[in-house]
Amino acid sequence: MTETATPKPLLEIKDLAITFSTPDGPVHAVRDANFTVMPGETVAIVGESGSGKSTSALAAIGLLAGNGAVSSGQILFDGEDIAHASEKRFVELRGNHIGMVPQDPMSNLNPVWKIGFQVKETLKANGLAGDNPKERVAQILADAGLPNPEVRAGQYPHEFSGGMRQRALIAIGLACRPRLLIADEPTSALDVTVQQQILDHLDTMTSELGTAVLLITHDLGLAAERAEKVVVMYKGRVVEYGPALDILRNPQHPYTKRLISSAPSLSAQRGDKHEAIVDEIVPGKVEPLLKVKNLTKIYDIRKGFGKKEKFTAVDNVSFEILKGTTTAVVGESGSGKSTIAQMVLNLLDKTEGEIVFDGEQIGNLSEKNLFKYRRRVQPIFQDPYGSLDPMFSIYRTIEEPLRIHGIGNAASRQKKVKELLEQVSMPASTMHRFPNELSGGQRQRIAIARALALQPEMIVCDEAVSALDVLVQAQVLELLDELQREMGLTYLFITHDLAVVRQIADNVCVMEHGKIVEQGTADEIFDAPKSEYTRNLLGAIPGASLI
Amino acid sequence: MLSFMLKRIAQLIPVFIGATLLVYFLVFATPGNPIDALSGGKPMSDATRSALEAQYNLDKPFWVQYGLYLKNLVTFDLGTSFSGQEVSALLGRAFPVTARLAILALLIEGVFGVIFGVIAGMRKGKWFDSTILVASLIVIAVPTFVLGFVLQFVIGVKLEWVKPTVSGAATWGELFLPALVLGLVSLAYVVRLTRTSVIENKSADFVRTATAKGLSRNRVVSVHILRNSLIPVVTFLGADLGSLMGGAIVTEGIFNVPGVGHLLYQAIQKGETPTVVAIVGVLVIIFVVANLIVDMLYALLDPRIRYA
Amino acid sequence: MPENQNFNPEDGLPISKVRAGKVSKYKIEHFVAPLDETPLQAVDSVKETGKPLSMWAEAWRSLRKQPLFIISAVLILAVIVVAAFPQLFSSQDPTYCALENSNEPGRAGHIMGFNLQGCDIYARVIYGTRASLLVGIFTTLIVVVVGGALGALAGFYGGWIDAILARLGDIFFALPLILGAIIVMQLPAFRDNRSVWTVIVTLAIFGWPQLARITRGAVIEARDADYVKASRALGLSRFHSLVKHVIPNSLAPIIVVATVNLGVYIVAEATLSFLGVGLPPDVMSWGNDISLAQQQLRSNPMMLMWPALFLSVTVLSFIMLGDAVRDALDPKARKGA
Repeated sequence: MTETATPKPLLEIKDLAITFSTPDGPVHAVRDANFTVMPGETVAIVGESGSGKSTSALAAIGLLAGNGAVSSGQILFDGEDIAHASEKRFVELRGNHIGMVPQDPMSNLNPVWKIGFQVKETLKANGLAGDNPKERVAQILADAGLPNPEVRAGQYPHEFSGGMRQRALIAIGLACRPRLLIADEPTSALDVTVQQQILDHLDTMTSELGTAVLLITHDLGLAAERAEKVVVMYKGRVVEYGPALDILRNPQHPYTKRLISSAPSLSAQRGDKHEAIVDEIVPGKVEPLLKVKNLTKIYDIRKGFGKKEKFTAVDNVSFEILKGTTTAVVGESGSGKSTIAQMVLNLLDKTEGEIVFDGEQIGNLSEKNLFKYRRRVQPIFQDPYGSLDPMFSIYRTIEEPLRIHGIGNAASRQKKVKELLEQVSMPASTMHRFPNELSGGQRQRIAIARALALQPEMIVCDEAVSALDVLVQAQVLELLDELQREMGLTYLFITHDLAVVRQIADNVCVMEHGKIVEQGTADEIFDAPKSEYTRNLLGAIPGASLI
Repeated sequence: MLSFMLKRIAQLIPVFIGATLLVYFLVFATPGNPIDALSGGKPMSDATRSALEAQYNLDKPFWVQYGLYLKNLVTFDLGTSFSGQEVSALLGRAFPVTARLAILALLIEGVFGVIFGVIAGMRKGKWFDSTILVASLIVIAVPTFVLGFVLQFVIGVKLEWVKPTVSGAATWGELFLPALVLGLVSLAYVVRLTRTSVIENKSADFVRTATAKGLSRNRVVSVHILRNSLIPVVTFLGADLGSLMGGAIVTEGIFNVPGVGHLLYQAIQKGETPTVVAIVGVLVIIFVVANLIVDMLYALLDPRIRYA
Repeated sequence: MPENQNFNPEDGLPISKVRAGKVSKYKIEHFVAPLDETPLQAVDSVKETGKPLSMWAEAWRSLRKQPLFIISAVLILAVIVVAAFPQLFSSQDPTYCALENSNEPGRAGHIMGFNLQGCDIYARVIYGTRASLLVGIFTTLIVVVVGGALGALAGFYGGWIDAILARLGDIFFALPLILGAIIVMQLPAFRDNRSVWTVIVTLAIFGWPQLARITRGAVIEARDADYVKASRALGLSRFHSLVKHVIPNSLAPIIVVATVNLGVYIVAEATLSFLGVGLPPDVMSWGNDISLAQQQLRSNPMMLMWPALFLSVTVLSFIMLGDAVRDALDPKARKGA
């Protein structure tokens, strides 16, 4: 399969350096980067946020932000150096020579123009509209896997789901048959099963058209599965590149090794599973800490003119959590998993069913008992940027629960805050800082410290690690695991990412459309999934069959 | 779209009723007798007083008074002024003048505001942008009547480019200077709003995607940045019609324009409360209808609204 | 052989199934960067150097470097000092008017000349500062307290309170500030007791809905933040979470709009005085002086220019201050949040 004569590369990045000028001085986003893309080949650039992976790719299509520029090196496209090409030259190249599929399907289509218009103008700009542009647009949308393309072309972006919008963006990116397609995290905003479908489709289309793809992703498993070649970037530099499977199975650079060992999608396959702490407790003999029975939440959706529609977000859900164990509730967006978390936290009223915590009914608690309950059950939320009050110093943030519950005096509270910071491996000096000075992972550790302040028995983690980079995610998961061992905590872990579940959970509930479709121990779910839906979810974890 | 329109109309009816009720309440139900104001403080006989009270329905309970007022407003029966003229006839003569003035002012602020705003936004941080920003701040800071006097004095009296005051005919040409003065403050707001909106859209993801499709710079600006940036500007222009009506009182006074503002101001000065209430009622109707039109325009520009 | 197996059209060999990974037909070198050039760094290390900065401290740091802010702050301070101690800035008595000085141009000791009544223009401008500033400051205070409180309640609790306040706001929006103020100032109760306070109350009546609307928007945004949810889960009551978390986080846009509006209210006061329905004639104010000056515009334009200049510079300072604060508090310029 390997040809000996190497043809000319389509894209060649040579000693590329990109610098952004900021008020605090120049920032070197990319340095000494070298890699090539051969015609028809898929090359993945893998790295964490801030590694320079997107910046390198955007430079190749002349779309660096206004304050960024190529400071040295070359970008050779088909032999022509376009590192400093004029805007006019880039207008010629974009669309029909180099196409792009952007990251976020929600913000990348202009909300005020119909989808068909946005496809058609791409064709027109590149002189490919032909005699019957309408038909051509429909054909292009159909090729991207959109059913009813004629009708769809007449609709606006807000009438499309996320997956459909991404298909429309792929249609636009490939409409003019470019030789190189830059796909910037094309599916990271989508559910795994949708991600799989879309990437499969993209694969089929690009191989039919012979388009080379420069795929930018943070997921090494996905990169290895979809690309022939993987380029690993770290802090603006290329640390390793080579054949995808070789990189995955035989990583050389310590950073690549670290990335592979931390990626949940890969470790899940390796069977790095969570070891149960309380195996001596046999279910049935011990009363569970949390018992959820026939829990249902129905929303009234107003449809204008007094018309109402009922929407069942959570449908007759039952599960139990034993003390000191972790139960994960897994589902895609809209499955109702976060609604369960909010009802357990008593932030949302349930419509029907029971939530029993330590033998006590939650939901009709008196003000006083609710206050006591709050002390025993604490949340950690998803968005590390939103879960800490930007006005509060870290000290005030962690001290707040102690103050609310009137625990200790000023001196003892300060001591406690220091202890808590130590528990989450943050230096004590952090307490004078403010959330805006910390990274996402650090904020999440502060949120954990706050949750621990009242020595709760149960912590509800609502997508607590979903917004974090893989290495940071692994670090936070490890911290949660350690804390559970030390303090015998019970976790209700809400997540969309089945891969993470294996690292943390003892028991798993898989949810779809408000219902639990399957529940069991983590081993049962991963090794012998019973429902079709769970099998699909597991199969969609990228990199599934590679290790 | 139709259900959106009906919904907006349903929302505007209480606004109309509320605003007229507010004015009517303020004028007729607060301490101090409006009849005393009518007489200009001169003593009057009880017979005259009760005759006047009957004429303006003041002898009836408040809600009946208000109901009659609304009915008269809708049927355009606005009563007579002290000088014995039909208020509707006075308004009929003054209204076209003010309409011309307001249309000119809206045109000036809309056209120049958007043009300057777009250029400033596209060249953020360059000299044009800085100049426009400073100029707009100054225009907002200087009161309209000072601007009016200065422009009238410089352009009308010193340079004699235009006549400093407006004749009874109030032609489009004569109204240009007053319209400029009337629209200037709003023009400054439109420039700033357009500029902010353009800067925001310029860095929007969909604009980058449009560029990546191979579209020319001009097309990206006109099709993707401009239309999206106009949405908040249109909303502002609709709401601004209200402040134009307020501003017309000042501007028409300075340039002696025989419009509604002038009429209203004279009625206020003479203490002709019923005339004031009648004119304000008509203005509220105009404002509400104009806002309805803006809503439709808004829905036309932004498809997301139609389904909200 | 599985059905969905594809074949390479060139060599007829099966292409391995997508999900099994791809092997290139080209030879790919395996490159590893030298470790000394790309050293590993600690994952997510905590910055321990530098002074901790709250959001306000950070805003302040960027503010004090802005020329726009420095100029406007200095001007506003100057205006406040003039309003508080006018006698320090003018040795002339503004109420001493001699008709023989009528419309005299400026001379030593009377740099701006005299008005129609023969009063010293400079002294009147200096002493007129207080009324304008009082109107601006107190109207803003009332509007912020009333509009802010109503807007915060509407935004935080939603439901019927919100619906009622939204309609009420719409009603007031249908009556423009100047028009509404003219009507109120003509009411017997107001007309017969004209003072600085009637002007303040009138402007506040028509000014609060705008601030209520802005506060409502800011509160709704803060209300839905996770940190408010978190504080509720910690056991904080709904009302306390409003006071401790939601309001402090909604202050930025309110401060900006209030600062700009302070200037706008000063202009509105002058406009009302110009129309003869604002401050009573015996109160010395820029608006009254401009109003008086309009009759002499053609013979003595400087009589109008001086108070107008002072008024405009004061208003400009407040608007510029608002602009500078907006830039410093811009959420997009801040990290995160």
